[in-house]
Amino acid sequence: MILQITELSKSFYQSSVFNKFSLRVESGERVGLTGPNGSGKTTLLKMISGIMSFDSGGIEVGEQKVHSENLDSRKNLYYIGHSIGLYPGLTGGENLDFIAKLYEKSSSKNSDILTKVGLISSKMKNVKFYSHGMRQRLKLASALLIDPDLLLLDEPVTGLDSDGIKLFENIMLDWIHQEKTIMIVSHDLDWLSSQTDRIVELD
Amino acid sequence: MRSKEIITSMFVFGLSVTLIFALAFQVAPNLVQSFAPGLLWVVILFTSILGLNRIFSLERDEHALWSWVAAPVDRGTVYIAKVISVLIFVLMAEILFIVPFFIFLNLSTQFSFIQFTLILFMGTSAIVSVGCLISGITLQAEIRDVLIPILLFPVASPVAIAATKCTRFLFDQNPMIEWNFWLLILASFFVIFAVFGYLIFNQIVEE
Repeated sequence: MILQITELSKSFYQSSVFNKFSLRVESGERVGLTGPNGSGKTTLLKMISGIMSFDSGGIEVGEQKVHSENLDSRKNLYYIGHSIGLYPGLTGGENLDFIAKLYEKSSSKNSDILTKVGLISSKMKNVKFYSHGMRQRLKLASALLIDPDLLLLDEPVTGLDSDGIKLFENIMLDWIHQEKTIMIVSHDLDWLSSQTDRIVELD
Repeated sequence: MRSKEIITSMFVFGLSVTLIFALAFQVAPNLVQSFAPGLLWVVILFTSILGLNRIFSLERDEHALWSWVAAPVDRGTVYIAKVISVLIFVLMAEILFIVPFFIFLNLSTQFSFIQFTLILFMGTSAIVSVGCLISGITLQAEIRDVLIPILLFPVASPVAIAATKCTRFLFDQNPMIEWNFWLLILASFFVIFAVFGYLIFNQIVEE
């Protein structure tokens, strides 16, 4: 799935974060995003995912233009952000069921997915009692369930232990084989260069 | 669990305000009867605030709203779902505190119960449709608990006035034909804000 960003502009009050920013990510390409704090890495991923609006320019995900009314533009992508983005008052299993309903996916594979990410024993536990690493694993489980063509990963290994990082890298390998288009935000340049085809630096 | 908390807190609050009014206004029964409609809608408006403050609290925890904001779903349906759920909560709380309201203020009940139910439903629906929209607009604000009443009271004041007029006419046993204009205002408010909220909710939940 091709991601095309054309002359994108975004300001917060008087401060411009993006001014006619353009980027093209080819289908199956893995692009790393890096840059200092406040350079707009997370903002860019949020705008692509539809969580945040933008002032001008355009974002196309495949054939679909990203804007609030176009539901199809959000069908085939998933954003893993800093916050969990799931309901802390629900259990891990209930959150996955909810995500499955939102994306019109079958819940039948939820247990297998939770086993894969090592959360099956915590399936009935409320997410508010999950550790940071467990929450990251649950977000990965959501991404596996939705199985989108475009993945937007914001610091995906932050908070993960060594087993968790291994798990993430194994999942990444699967995604590479499936030719998913991936954007990863990280401050760790060495790790980012090992996971991506190219790195875009925002300033 | 959280639904029980919301309804219980709204009921206790409504009952407390009713008690304060009953103790504060110890005047002739005919005087109480004349300002009781206004008191009733003040209690309902205040009680609704409690529900409206809580209605997006789940979504604010850990940015849970991202789960459906980024999903391929019509966000306007979330607004409609919220309106329906708050409406149910407020109506349930009303059912619980309206009987004590009549008992404590020693009010006459010589009026049509069906018409009274209709006024309560229309007035509450109008308040809730406006309130849910304001609650959604203030979703990202740090001080939303303060902002909701500040924004809601001026916008909902025509609703409170129209609902009070309807209730006053009903308590005075005037025929519905004399006050259906006010009921139409309530219905118009509800429909306009529900449609407007549904249409713009897509934009207002985005950061």
